[in-house]
Amino acid sequence: METLTFQFAAAEPGRGRTVVGCVSSGDLEVLIEPGTAGSLQIQVVTSVNGSGARWAQLFQRLFEGRQWPAVNIDIHDFGATPGVVRLRLEQGFEEIAP
Amino acid sequence: MSTPRPHDLLWGLPLSALPDDTPQWALQVVACGQPVVVRRAACADGWVAVGVRGQSRDQRLGTQMRLGDIQRLQSPEALRGCAPSPWPALQALASAAPVLDTCGLAWGPTGGVGYQLATGINVLHLASDLDLVLRAPHPLTRAKALELLDILDCAPCRIDVQLETPAGAVALREWAGCARRVLLKSPLGARLVSDPWAALECAA
Repeated sequence: METLTFQFAAAEPGRGRTVVGCVSSGDLEVLIEPGTAGSLQIQVVTSVNGSGARWAQLFQRLFEGRQWPAVNIDIHDFGATPGVVRLRLEQGFEEIAP
Repeated sequence: MSTPRPHDLLWGLPLSALPDDTPQWALQVVACGQPVVVRRAACADGWVAVGVRGQSRDQRLGTQMRLGDIQRLQSPEALRGCAPSPWPALQALASAAPVLDTCGLAWGPTGGVGYQLATGINVLHLASDLDLVLRAPHPLTRAKALELLDILDCAPCRIDVQLETPAGAVALREWAGCARRVLLKSPLGARLVSDPWAALECAA
């Protein structure tokens, strides 16, 4: 088990709260809720040790250089592939989209 | 020999088939004649995607195996028998068996439990989950999925069931929930779908 945190620039706080995904091998659970203006915060608790660099790379590609709403994202990861992580985040943002 | 399906265990991968940069632990596993696990990934004709399983969670190596190299294949269905055991995951298997046997669908253990039952190698520990595959060639209603999940959730450890549909696999837990779209794992990758049995949606 490993806990990782990440932070990116964001716009105004997002609205709504959602939980998507599944507590299951190869999957992850994603909780998204409104955050503090200007900041997108991510906390990852993962069953895979030593995966910090992979998460950092994935989030940089997703969240850097684009205007995201300020949200707090809590991730419980059970060994999901980067493709599955991207899908779950996409699903979560879809759920809170106005 | 039947066509290998995801989660099947295969024996016979030659050491010489592993790439040059294969980590030492994986070379050892294969050299000892331990089986590899069929992965859900597309391959060229005559090949199957497999994974080598080491002792720890981060010891997983994806590779490919020639169908012609398969000496023995064991499917999860063949691993249902279970002797009394101190491991919660094996106790859960014993408690789930009668429930699943009456649901009319083929099923069997995968993951650590399947591997330990097939090889006799102790990979389970006290916190191990039970992973199961349940073959659902025809649609299973979400109400039926929830009913099954509620019973399985009374087991001595967490049980993760993958529903195998003709299009791929979806977690029983997610199908039993209320998400509009669910994650389908197919040979072409993962995607979010509203109907895990609709093949067209998966061919995108």
